[in-house]
Amino acid sequence: MARHAYRRWTMPLTLAAGLVLGAASGWWVMAHAGARGVEVKGWTGSSVAGAVDADAWTRAQVAVRGLLALNKSQAIYLTTRRDDQGQPLREGCRYRVSGGAMPARWWSVTVYAADNFLPINDDDALSFDATEVRPDAAGNWTALLASKREGDGAWASTRNAGAFDITLRLYNPAPAVQADLHAIPVPRVTRIDCAGGGA
Amino acid sequence: MTQGLKRSFKLGLAFVAAAAVGHVGIVLATPGALMQVAMKRMSHGGEIINAFDFGARTTQKSRWVVRPSPDLAYSSCVYDLSKGPLLIEAAPSPGNGYVSLSVFDARTDNIAVFDSNQHPQGIRFVLARAGQATPPGAAVVISPSERGIVLDRRLAPSAELFAAADKARRADRCEPITG
Repeated sequence: MARHAYRRWTMPLTLAAGLVLGAASGWWVMAHAGARGVEVKGWTGSSVAGAVDADAWTRAQVAVRGLLALNKSQAIYLTTRRDDQGQPLREGCRYRVSGGAMPARWWSVTVYAADNFLPINDDDALSFDATEVRPDAAGNWTALLASKREGDGAWASTRNAGAFDITLRLYNPAPAVQADLHAIPVPRVTRIDCAGGGA
Repeated sequence: MTQGLKRSFKLGLAFVAAAAVGHVGIVLATPGALMQVAMKRMSHGGEIINAFDFGARTTQKSRWVVRPSPDLAYSSCVYDLSKGPLLIEAAPSPGNGYVSLSVFDARTDNIAVFDSNQHPQGIRFVLARAGQATPPGAAVVISPSERGIVLDRRLAPSAELFAAADKARRADRCEPITG
C-alpha cells in the first residue's frame, strides 16, 4: 500500500521540485548574479539595458535591479560593489572616489543599499554629481563616500547603507563610449579606513 | 536496463526538464509582472491613466521603483492606447537643463527616447498602436503593447533646481488626441 502511494507521488513531486528549483535559480540570476554585460575595471554595466534587443536574462535583470532604465543612447549605468582592492563596499569604511573628465553631458554617483533602494538616512547626500566636484587644472576630482560629512567637498552618505554598491550614471554619453563601454574612464574607489581599524 | 534504472532515468529527466521550465518561465514572466506592479503604483491603482503624475523629490523614502536617482525629477504617465493615440509633450527646463521623455512598453523595453539636446524647444510626439490613425506630419512612436509608461526625467540635483524643474514640467501633456 505504502509502496504504491510512494510510486504514485514520486513523479509529481519530482516535477514540483524541479519547477521550484528552476524558478529559484532564475530568481537568483535576476537578483544576485553578476550583471550580464560588460565589466569595466571592476564596474559592471550593460550595453543593452532597456533596449529592444536585450536578451531575456538581461531584460529580467534590468527589470529587477533597474526597472525603467534608459538605453545607452541616453544614459549608461555602471555599478560596482567593490573597492579597487576587490573588497566589498561597506558602511563601516570610508572611501575616496577619484576620477577625471567624464565623456557625458552630465554624470552622477549614487549609493544604494543591498535592497536596491537608497539608504535610509536624512543626510540629503545620497549622491554626488558633476556639479558638486571640484576638478583641478587637469580635470581630476575626488569625492568622499562615508557615513559622516568631512570638510566641504563632494560627499555621498553611506549611513545606514550596510553592504552597499554605487552606480555611475552618464547622461547623454559621448558616441565613442556608447559604442564601447570600455572607453569609459571609470572612477577609482579607494578604501581610506574602516571603523575598528584597518585600511 | 532494469525497471528500477529506467524509472530513475525518467525521474531525473523529468526533474531537469521541470527545472528548465521553471528557470526560463520566471525569467520570461518577471519583467512583465514587475511592469504591471509599476503601472499600478504609478497610476495610483488605475486612477491616473493617460495623464502625467508629477513625483515628489526623490528621497530615501522613495520606494516606487528600484534604484531611483536622487538627482532627477521624475514624472510618469501610464498610458492605455485602447481608445486611440495620445499626444505627449514635455516643456523645456530653465537654462536648457537636461530633460528626457522615454517610452517603455509592457515588456520593459525602452522603445523610444527624446531629450532636450535634440529638442531644446520642447519634446512633442504622438504615441499610438500600429494601425491607429495619427495626425499627418506628427512624429509618431508605435508601441508594441497597449499599455506602458512614459517617463519624464529632469535634472534637479538640489531643492532649488527641483523647484524650477517642477514648475516647468507642469506644462507637460499626456492626453488623448481630440478633433
